[in-house]
Amino acid sequence: MADDAPGPAGLAAVQRWMQAVILDPAEAGPGAADQVVTASRRLPARERLRIYQQGYRMRLAECMRSLHPGSVHLLGHEIFDQFALEYVDAHPSRSPTLAGLSDGFAAHLGRTRPDTAPGAQREAWIDLLIDLVRFERVFAEVLDGPGPEDGSGDAPSSLRLFRACAPVHTYLAAVHRGLDPDPPGQRPVRLAAFRRDYTVVTRELSPAAYGRLLASRATDDLPT
Amino acid sequence: MGEARLGTPRLGYGVGLRTPHLAHIREHRPPVGFFEIISENFLDCRGGRRRALEEIAAHYPVVLHGVSLSIGSTDPLDFGYLRRLKRLADEVDAPWVSDHVCWTGVLGVHTHDLLPLPFTEETLAHVAARARVVQDVLERPLALENPSSYVEFRASTLTEWEFLARLAEEADCGLLLDVNNVHVSAFNHDFDPERYLRELPHERVVQMHLAGHTDYGTHIIDTHDAPVAEPVWELYRLAVELTGGGAATLLERDDKLPPFPELLAELDRARAAAGAVTAVSSVPSGSSGPSVSSVAAGSGSHG
Repeated sequence: MADDAPGPAGLAAVQRWMQAVILDPAEAGPGAADQVVTASRRLPARERLRIYQQGYRMRLAECMRSLHPGSVHLLGHEIFDQFALEYVDAHPSRSPTLAGLSDGFAAHLGRTRPDTAPGAQREAWIDLLIDLVRFERVFAEVLDGPGPEDGSGDAPSSLRLFRACAPVHTYLAAVHRGLDPDPPGQRPVRLAAFRRDYTVVTRELSPAAYGRLLASRATDDLPT
Repeated sequence: MGEARLGTPRLGYGVGLRTPHLAHIREHRPPVGFFEIISENFLDCRGGRRRALEEIAAHYPVVLHGVSLSIGSTDPLDFGYLRRLKRLADEVDAPWVSDHVCWTGVLGVHTHDLLPLPFTEETLAHVAARARVVQDVLERPLALENPSSYVEFRASTLTEWEFLARLAEEADCGLLLDVNNVHVSAFNHDFDPERYLRELPHERVVQMHLAGHTDYGTHIIDTHDAPVAEPVWELYRLAVELTGGGAATLLERDDKLPPFPELLAELDRARAAAGAVTAVSSVPSGSSGPSVSSVAAGSGSHG
């Protein structure tokens, strides 16, 4: 909005404008906030609006950290927040709940990884990060999804099969226990995750066992 | 304690149910009148937290408090969300459901923030019509909460309390009076919090919230990470007197959670403050309406 333009008229227009400047503060020109919101005795309009702009990013970064404690440990808060907010900026939430906020995070990291340029060498740590993010999603889905405990499902109904470039499951388990594990070395693993007594159980499988379980499933829609 | 509101049961004094406290509550069955859950935290959960909720709901009344109804959004109502909300409310036998007078996003986006509305006739008609639909779907009372806010719109033609009063009447819904939010917004927008409380339709207040905030000097943010501040206790006493003591009171804490017994002690303070107010107000005094200062003086050591 230009500085001298009238403010948006009507509820729908106000909401579209405010959401746009929250998601992308650059959308609000230097004087645009004054056209729509009032100043208080202590704060000009743009500073009052900034409370919402900052709150939005802080809230979603905090949620992403809670969904991915292992990845936070791997990268540190600051770098994790950069990745997480780039993802949120590219994919604003479209769900009324936050449980699935990071559903597309691993795919986003895969699409935007910097080592895919021609001539670039593939970075192992990016593979590790993406697989850890994927495993954290699987872990959360098994933890909060339907399970065998109430008789409405069975253990196999919560079963998820998973392949990773490194033992991300032991790394995440150590973080959950409050330890300070070193990043796991590259060692391809095949995993089964399922729920028992409301806790997630993870088992490393041999290639043969993994193949049998995969073949026994009626549908093969699992990330592998 | 006064009469129930809008046909809702009198639940007394409750605490927001938070995951770190689940084990304590299941083991000790603390003396709490009811629990309030954040609806969205349980809509997608079929795991251990949900099992804990079911167990707690078998022993305590549970009310639902949402953050994503987006009653003021110009997007269409999300009937898929409402159906899930209704199912959850049925499963815990919630006597009412609450959410905020706000919007959370448009064009299909959810910002997961409680964004303020311009208080206009257009907004009033829009929100009231949607609130009636929501109550029909949920088949139980809806209580709409005054949110804390950090901006006001040039387009507004009504005060917040005028908007809430007319909304409650036109939608025939309840109000959730967040006393801390009144204090926060009064500071941020330079209005008189006592006048705000006096102008509300007190018979429609089914529940009150108490919470802590953070004062940044130039503005206050509703952070729910600290004990209830003294000015909020003063407003609470006035709110209890004005509403007659029939509304449920809930203590909210979302960050920097203390051990549950500390929350119980703070809840006891609310109970004592309200008890002192209703005891004082039951004695004919011949005085005019209560003020924060007179109510505070009447509360003695509980203040």
